[in-house]
Amino acid sequence: MKFRNAVRLLALATFSLMICSAASAQSLRLPPHEKVVFKNGLTVLLMEKHGVPMVSFSAIVKTGSAADPAGQEGLASVTAELLRKGTKTRTAQQFAADLDFIGGAFDAGAGPDFTTISAEFLTKDLARGLDLFADAVLRPTFPLEEADKLLAQGIDGVKAAKDDPESVLFSYYDGYLLSGHLYGRPGGGDELSLKNIKREAIAKFYETHYAPGNTILAVAGEFNTVEMRKKLEDVLGAWPAKTVQPLPIPSAAPVKGKRLLLIDKPDATQTYFAIGNLGTAVTEPDRVAIRVVNTLFGGRFTSMLNEALRVESGLSYGAGSFFDSRKTPGPFAMYSFTKNESTVQALDLALQTLEKLHKEGVTEEQLKSAKSYLKGQFPPTIETSGQLARRIAANEFYGLDDNEVNQLEARIDAVTPEIARQVIQKHFPKENLVFVVIGKASTIGPVVQKYAGKEDSRAISDPGFWPPPGTNVSRK
Amino acid sequence: MTSRTLKNGMKVLVQSDHSIPNVAMYIFYRIGSRNERPGTTGLSHFFEHMMFNGAKKYGPGELDKVMEGNGGSNNAYTTQNVTVYQDWFPHSTLPLIFDIEADRIRDLNFDPQKIESERGVVASERRLSVDNSNNGLLDEQLWATAFVAHPYQWPVVGWMSDIEHWTIADLKHHFEMGYSPSNATMVVVGDVTPEEIFQLCEKFIEPIPSHAPPPPVTTVEPEQLGERRLVVRKPAELPLLSIAYHIPRTNSPDFYALNILRTVVFQGESSRMYQRLVDKDQIALGVESQVENAFDPTLLEINAQPKQGVDPQACEKAIYEELDRVKNTGIADRELEKAKNIRLVEFYRQMRTISGRANTIGTYEVFFGDYNRLFEAAKNYGGVTKEDVQRVAKTYFGANNRTVATLLPENEEKAKQ
Repeated sequence: MKFRNAVRLLALATFSLMICSAASAQSLRLPPHEKVVFKNGLTVLLMEKHGVPMVSFSAIVKTGSAADPAGQEGLASVTAELLRKGTKTRTAQQFAADLDFIGGAFDAGAGPDFTTISAEFLTKDLARGLDLFADAVLRPTFPLEEADKLLAQGIDGVKAAKDDPESVLFSYYDGYLLSGHLYGRPGGGDELSLKNIKREAIAKFYETHYAPGNTILAVAGEFNTVEMRKKLEDVLGAWPAKTVQPLPIPSAAPVKGKRLLLIDKPDATQTYFAIGNLGTAVTEPDRVAIRVVNTLFGGRFTSMLNEALRVESGLSYGAGSFFDSRKTPGPFAMYSFTKNESTVQALDLALQTLEKLHKEGVTEEQLKSAKSYLKGQFPPTIETSGQLARRIAANEFYGLDDNEVNQLEARIDAVTPEIARQVIQKHFPKENLVFVVIGKASTIGPVVQKYAGKEDSRAISDPGFWPPPGTNVSRK
Repeated sequence: MTSRTLKNGMKVLVQSDHSIPNVAMYIFYRIGSRNERPGTTGLSHFFEHMMFNGAKKYGPGELDKVMEGNGGSNNAYTTQNVTVYQDWFPHSTLPLIFDIEADRIRDLNFDPQKIESERGVVASERRLSVDNSNNGLLDEQLWATAFVAHPYQWPVVGWMSDIEHWTIADLKHHFEMGYSPSNATMVVVGDVTPEEIFQLCEKFIEPIPSHAPPPPVTTVEPEQLGERRLVVRKPAELPLLSIAYHIPRTNSPDFYALNILRTVVFQGESSRMYQRLVDKDQIALGVESQVENAFDPTLLEINAQPKQGVDPQACEKAIYEELDRVKNTGIADRELEKAKNIRLVEFYRQMRTISGRANTIGTYEVFFGDYNRLFEAAKNYGGVTKEDVQRVAKTYFGANNRTVATLLPENEEKAKQ
C-alpha cells in the first residue's frame, strides 16, 4: 500500500470535527435538516436524504470518559458497550440475533467528551431497527454475567493492543502530556482500572448520565420526516426526563520544558514516537486556519513532515501531525516511526521540520495548494447518511452551526500568510515539548536522553499507560 | 453503467453519480505478487510505490504535489493478484488526472536515488505491518507453510532480504511485463458523464501502445495431503491462532455458498463462532474469517485471539467442533435467511459511496471477468441452499486440508536461551 494514515486519525473521526473535516465546494451545503426538542428534553435532528434505502442513527449522550471516576477509567466505555448486552425485553444473545437478522449495525462507545450510540438499518426494516435502538438506549439491564465477560475481554484487549506498538502510542502520549487532567486518562481503561469496575457502578453511571435532556439524536437517510418524527415521539417520547449535572472540564495547562517518556518493548525493530504539546478546543476561533496550516505541516501525503521523513529520506513509511480537539484543548502531536538505528535521525528531522515551520512560515503558493486540497477532499466526508448524522449531532453538541460546512470554503479562502504566521506562533509548540518513544530501550534509551531535561520510563508489559496506576499525579 | 474497450485493449467502465461534485478513479492492473519469483518477492508492491516517484512530465515528487495542490488525493494497494491505483478528486481536475495517469502508464522513469529512499520506506512498511505486528508475522508464516509450490507462499510486501536487493533492472522488467494498458481496467464513478471520460481516454490513454500481458502463472499447488502445523515463539502479551483451509479461486461456483457459510459461522455477535468462543466458552477475545479475492485457488483463514492463559489449542478444538456441526447437521433456515439479509445490506454499504462503488465494480470485472456479475450477486446469493452450505463445509473443512499456526508468548530471557 502506498500510504496509510495513523490508526489514531480514523478512530477519532467520530469524536472530533477538527480531525475529519476539511472544506466544501462552493455549491456544497449540508442537506436541509430539522431540529425538534421533545417534551422530555431530547434533542432530535432529522435529515431526510434519498438515494440509498438506509437510515442512520447517531445519538450523543453528553457525558464521556472524562467523567470516569478516578481508578475506574473505562467506565463510560464499558457502560456504552454493555447497552446491547441485555435489555428488559432481550438477552444479549437475542439482541444480537435480532440485529444480525436484518443486517443491522449497532455500535456504542465513549470518547473523552461524549458517548456515541450509532445504528444503521435498511429503510424497509426501520420499525424493527428503531425498536432495537430504543431497547438498548432506554432499557438496558447490565446483567452481571455480561459485565464480567466484557470487563475480562477489555483487560485482555489492552494486552493484545500492547503487542502492536502503533496501536498504543497515543494512549501513552495522552497520558504523559495530560497527566493529572481528565483528558489524560485512558478512555478504554487499562489492565488495572477495568478490574476495579463493578456492575453496580455501571448501572449507576447509566442512571446518572443517560437521560433525554442529556442526549442528542440525529437521524439521516431515506425516510419521511413527518412520519419519522411521529415514530420517534412514540418510541422515545416516553423516556422519563431527569436532570443531569454537566461535568465541567477545565482547560489543561501546556507542558513546560522538555519531558520524555520511554516505553521499553525489547523485541521492537522499529521506534514509534509522538512529539508535541497541548493543542486546541473544537470551538477554537482559529480552527479553520489551523486546519489549513496543519495540512501543510503534517496533514497530507505532501506535508512537510511526510516529505522530510518519508519522501526525501526514506526513513519511515509515514509521518504526520494532528490536533485532537475536544471541548477544551486536547493534544497536538507529530508522529512517525523508523528502524532502531535511525531513531535519532528521524526525531531530529521531525524537530527540524517544526523549527522550519516556525522560522519560514508558509508561502502564498503553499496556502493555495492546501486550500485546494481541503476543498477538493471535503465532499466525500459528507457523502453517506451515517457521516451526516454523526456530523450534525457533533455540531449540535459543540454548539456549532451549519456554517461549519456551508461557510467552510469562504473561511478557508480567507487564510493569508500573515494569519498562518500568527497561527503557527500561537498554536504550534516550539520550545516546550513532550516526547513519547516506544522501542527497544537497551538500544535507543541512551540516544534519546538528549531530547529532554526530564525522562521517565516503563516497560510496555507494565500494566496501565501513564502515569503508572496507583500514583497520584498533580501537575500545577 | 457504460463500458468501452479502448483500441489498446484497456477496458473503461463509467458510472455517473452527481450527488457530490467528486470523482473516484480506480485502475486495476492484473499483476501482483503471484507474478513474482523467489529473490525478487515484493517487487509488485515496490513497483506500486515507484509509480508515484517520477515519470517523463511529472518528475519525482511532482505527481503528489500537483494532484494534492489541485484538490485531489491518491493511494494504491497491491495484493497477491492485482495492483490498484486510486485517485479521488473534484470534477474540475479531470483532465489533469488523465494527464498524470497517462504520463506514468506510458513513461515511468526510475531515478536511482528515489529507488534507494523508497526501499527504506518499504522496509519500514514491512516492519510496521509484519515484523512488529504479531498478526502480520503469523499470517506470513501461515501462507508460507500452506503453499509449497504456488507463488501465494511469499508475502506481498516481500521478504526483507529481497527488499534489500531489488535492482533497477527488476523494476524495468516488471513494468514491461505487467503494465500494458491491455492488462488494466479503469473504473470511473462520480460527477462525470461517460462521454467526457471516453473523450479523455481517446486523447490520453488510447495512444499508449499495448504489449504482451504477463506470462500466465502455470504453477498449480498440489493437493495438501495432511495437516501442517507451525509455531512462532516471541515476546508477546497474548497468543494468537490462525487456521487456513485451501479453497477454490474467487470465480468458482462455490464462491456464494462459501460466503453464506462464512456469514453464518463468523459474522456478527449472533454468529456460531462468536457465540461459542467469545460468549459461551469465553476463551477468545474475537474470532473472524478472511478470504481474499484470488485468480488461483487460495485460502480461507480463521483468525482467533485467545484470552490470556488460554491454550490456543482450546480455541482450536472449539473451532473444529463448530465446523463439524455445520458439516454434520448443516445450518438452520433462519440462519440462511439472516446470511442473505446481511449480504444484501453489505451490497448497499459498498455501493453508497463513489469510492466503494468504483472498487466493487472493478473487483467484479477483474475477478469474475464481468462487472455485470455484481448485479447478479443478490440472485446468486439467493439461490444458495442449506444443502450447498453443508456441502462446501464438508468439501473444504477437512483436517488434511488445513494449516494451523500458533504464536506463543515467550519472555525475553527465554527467547535468548
